[in-house]
Amino acid sequence: MSRIAEATLADGRKIPYVITDNPPRGGMKYTYFAPDRSYVVQFYNDPGKADSNMTERLKAIIGRYNPTLPESEGGALGTDKKLAEYFSERFCWPTDLVVAPEIGLVSPAYPKSFFFDEHASKFLDLKGKDKKSNWFTSGNRRFLNRSELGDFRSMMQMSLLLARSIRRLHQAGLAHSDLSNNNVLIDPKSGNCVVIDIDSLVVPGLFPPEVAGTRGYIAPEVLATMELDKNDPRRMIPSSVTDLHALAVLIYEYLFLRHPLMGPKIFSAESAEKDDLLGLGEMALFIEDPNDTSNRPASLKNTIKDVGPILEELFLRAFSYGLHDPPLRPSAMEWERGLVRTWDMLHRCANAECEHKWFVLYDVSNPVCPFCGTKIAEKNVVRFELYSEVRGHRGEWKKYSEMDIVNNTPLFKWHMQSNVFADEKADDTMQAYACCHNGEWFLINKHASGMLSPQGNPVPAGQAIRISDGTVFRASSSERGTLIKVRII
Amino acid sequence: MSEFTRRLPVYLLLDVSGSMAGDPIEAVKHGVRALISELRGDPQALETAYLSVITFNSAARQVVPLTELMMFREPQLSAGGATAFGAALRLLSECIRSEVRRSTETQKGDWKPLVFILTDGAPTDEWREAAAELKSTHPANIIACAAGANADTKILKEITDCVLFMNNLSAGDLSQFFAWVSSSVKMSSKSLDAKPGANIELPPPPQGFVIVP
Repeated sequence: MSRIAEATLADGRKIPYVITDNPPRGGMKYTYFAPDRSYVVQFYNDPGKADSNMTERLKAIIGRYNPTLPESEGGALGTDKKLAEYFSERFCWPTDLVVAPEIGLVSPAYPKSFFFDEHASKFLDLKGKDKKSNWFTSGNRRFLNRSELGDFRSMMQMSLLLARSIRRLHQAGLAHSDLSNNNVLIDPKSGNCVVIDIDSLVVPGLFPPEVAGTRGYIAPEVLATMELDKNDPRRMIPSSVTDLHALAVLIYEYLFLRHPLMGPKIFSAESAEKDDLLGLGEMALFIEDPNDTSNRPASLKNTIKDVGPILEELFLRAFSYGLHDPPLRPSAMEWERGLVRTWDMLHRCANAECEHKWFVLYDVSNPVCPFCGTKIAEKNVVRFELYSEVRGHRGEWKKYSEMDIVNNTPLFKWHMQSNVFADEKADDTMQAYACCHNGEWFLINKHASGMLSPQGNPVPAGQAIRISDGTVFRASSSERGTLIKVRII
Repeated sequence: MSEFTRRLPVYLLLDVSGSMAGDPIEAVKHGVRALISELRGDPQALETAYLSVITFNSAARQVVPLTELMMFREPQLSAGGATAFGAALRLLSECIRSEVRRSTETQKGDWKPLVFILTDGAPTDEWREAAAELKSTHPANIIACAAGANADTKILKEITDCVLFMNNLSAGDLSQFFAWVSSSVKMSSKSLDAKPGANIELPPPPQGFVIVP
């Protein structure tokens, strides 16, 4: 049974929505759809919580903190049309405040790719269900068709996009406060993710929302202090720092398909609830902790060592040193940068049957896929080491990144210039690409200006440099231009 | 992957006495079917929830032992006979004792079970002792629903503080009840008890249902 109702927005407009029995319900809200399903109207389970503090917060979120709305239309500072479009795909950001029949909000419907279609599973009827990430990161994977599962590269892409989205929130001083597998939808098939339930954001200077959080994603210090009085200064509440715990958990789950803290260790024999509260809170222990292996599962096929030293260090900071020392947790920007760098070391597995299809090739002396053990198909590992000039020390160069090179590997602005970062603003026109021809390697300049040959001669667009082991050249001769050293191992 | 996943045991105690014959029992069957299909569509519920069905008329019977959702087979339900409510409560305690994994020094235990009781009449057997035992030992979070004018909410209050009352046994109300059960299971499988032992959080009951104070 359903009927059409009308919601009145803060600006007086009225929009229709369909009231259904037993609408989808989360911990905080329940959802009705537009007649054409292009947007959703959501109301709070407890309308009593919708006080003036909350409406002020929602107005700020919909308006001046909104990265999906250009600044010229009332959105966040510095947001132009292109950026607004970019982040519209990353967030399901509320568009309007509903004032009648009660306080609620309007959000765009998720893009179609975040709903399963009829081909998703042979065992379950999932058509129309949203793609919550634990369909893909838990034992539920076994019910999904192979075509839904993506591969290591798409999981890494989603990790990167999520880190970027959270960095954008934190950059504005916002905190999501309830980041979890339920509030990030993922589509491993395409490598996309979208952050939802934006209404629980913590906005600077306004009263924070009361968020319970989601099991498995609540930061240990929040769980450990949740029984303290609200006004007790020792009580930790959700913030950008606790977001960073949830972000690290999600990235770990995407890359390893398991939870970083849920291991075999028993924390309390009293009850499951007590055991869980301790094991995710006060006594939480990383299943891969290098110093304490008491929570380590007997079978850990792949570990943080397999994703390269950059991510390994970030995971150790998140779950080992920083698990109970929040300031040590990597920031969203550190995750974003670490993932971008590691992305450049991805190598396609030679085994067509490999479930993960891609891996991080960091150990050049032993170039095998850690997932299936297959050796790379290429005769050699080809590396570009990227160096930037130390500021104030002319002629002194410092390695800042590395790239795994195969035939047709593209180079972008951020490879040519050490001061360009691969973020949402970066120009993603291919500048040059590597090419292997008759056993010889070349770098072909497509669009780069200022590229120099190893001898220091200009290499204009359309021309190439022949490269071999030990070749050193300037990818760009400009102020912060990169110096590239070639290694063929 | 799921090596350390705790189970959330869910028991349905369904009244299949004579007064449930006809439309009500059909609605219950339909409700159980809808419940399974809803829960299978929720990744967290699918991973953690295990379901058992205990029915009671002149006797109590566990028609489906605690089973993971993917393996669950819908029971054949038919209505007739008296209301052996006490026997059902004793059977519930027994099943919880034998099926639910306890937390020990060497074993990760299951979550505290969720029990949903649906009854439309007054017990025809001795139930007080079993009710008192459940209330004092609290082996599960029990939600009892009294359906229709003949159900006795006072008796249910002897078992649990969480008692719902629905006015009639219409197909619509029964289907709402099962939909609410599914929302409750989904919500429990996601949220962690704020404090161990505290009341669990449940979604607001459907329209037309009254929480018995």
